[in-house]
Amino acid sequence: MAMNVGGGPQANINVTPLIDVLLVLLIIFMVITPLTPYGLEALAPQPPKKNQPPPPENDDRTVVIVIDKQGNIQLNQEPVQKEFLGPRLEQIFRTRAERVVFVKGDPDLDFQVVAQAIDVARGAGIDKIGLMTPKIEAGE
Amino acid sequence: MQKQKAPAVIGDINVTPMVDVMLVLLIIFMVITPLLTKGQTVELVKAKNPIAMKEADAEDAILIAVTRNGEVFLSPGNHRVTPDELPGKVSDLLTNRLDKTVYIKADQRTKYQAVEDVVDFLRAAGVDELGLLTEQLTSQAQPGQ
Repeated sequence: MAMNVGGGPQANINVTPLIDVLLVLLIIFMVITPLTPYGLEALAPQPPKKNQPPPPENDDRTVVIVIDKQGNIQLNQEPVQKEFLGPRLEQIFRTRAERVVFVKGDPDLDFQVVAQAIDVARGAGIDKIGLMTPKIEAGE
Repeated sequence: MQKQKAPAVIGDINVTPMVDVMLVLLIIFMVITPLLTKGQTVELVKAKNPIAMKEADAEDAILIAVTRNGEVFLSPGNHRVTPDELPGKVSDLLTNRLDKTVYIKADQRTKYQAVEDVVDFLRAAGVDELGLLTEQLTSQAQPGQ
């Protein structure tokens, strides 16, 4: 048998490194596959029911994040730098149990600007973020 | 009659079938991976504080994709729709469901106008919980909560 011939050239390909590489690739693809989606929760406030009284006005407690066309941020009427939005929100909501803000963005903005504001609010511990749209403001 | 001598025992494992199987598995995974992203592929916003939304991956999850140029696609099915068709179609999909969350997958560079429209029409369908799908920033890896 050829096996017994000592020192003869070996005709087999050494497949072990090949298998190593393949296994690693296989594992990489298996890990990538079940990527769980991530997301930010938001609420779309529903208009009050017809036969229901409108919610009591408590303007001083409602916090609205307004983002204008240039991407400048206002908290209610108070202009806030983007990087101070989180700390300011934390400061406002430190003593409050109900952590609700509304986000109102200019229609011409990129979605990412608004999403980042929502992200910051989420990071500041706000648990309910409502998206204000023109129709909601019009009370529809 | 003399019995023929049996050939010497081969001590090596025959790895060829294994390599075959591995290659096939590898190819299957390579083919499946890009197909797994449901709906339209969009460039998601990168966020620091998103939460895991496993339900968005479900087969019957209501997923609305808004592409960069403001086109709207509704999944399951990945049909192209106009925003004003959404209330009817989404409320059809929502009947008999406990979880009324609708997932929005918007491109980061789409105008907020397009997303606002979708939200408005979803409100008309009675949806009040939205999931804005984002990508998690990995540079500041945090646990999923």
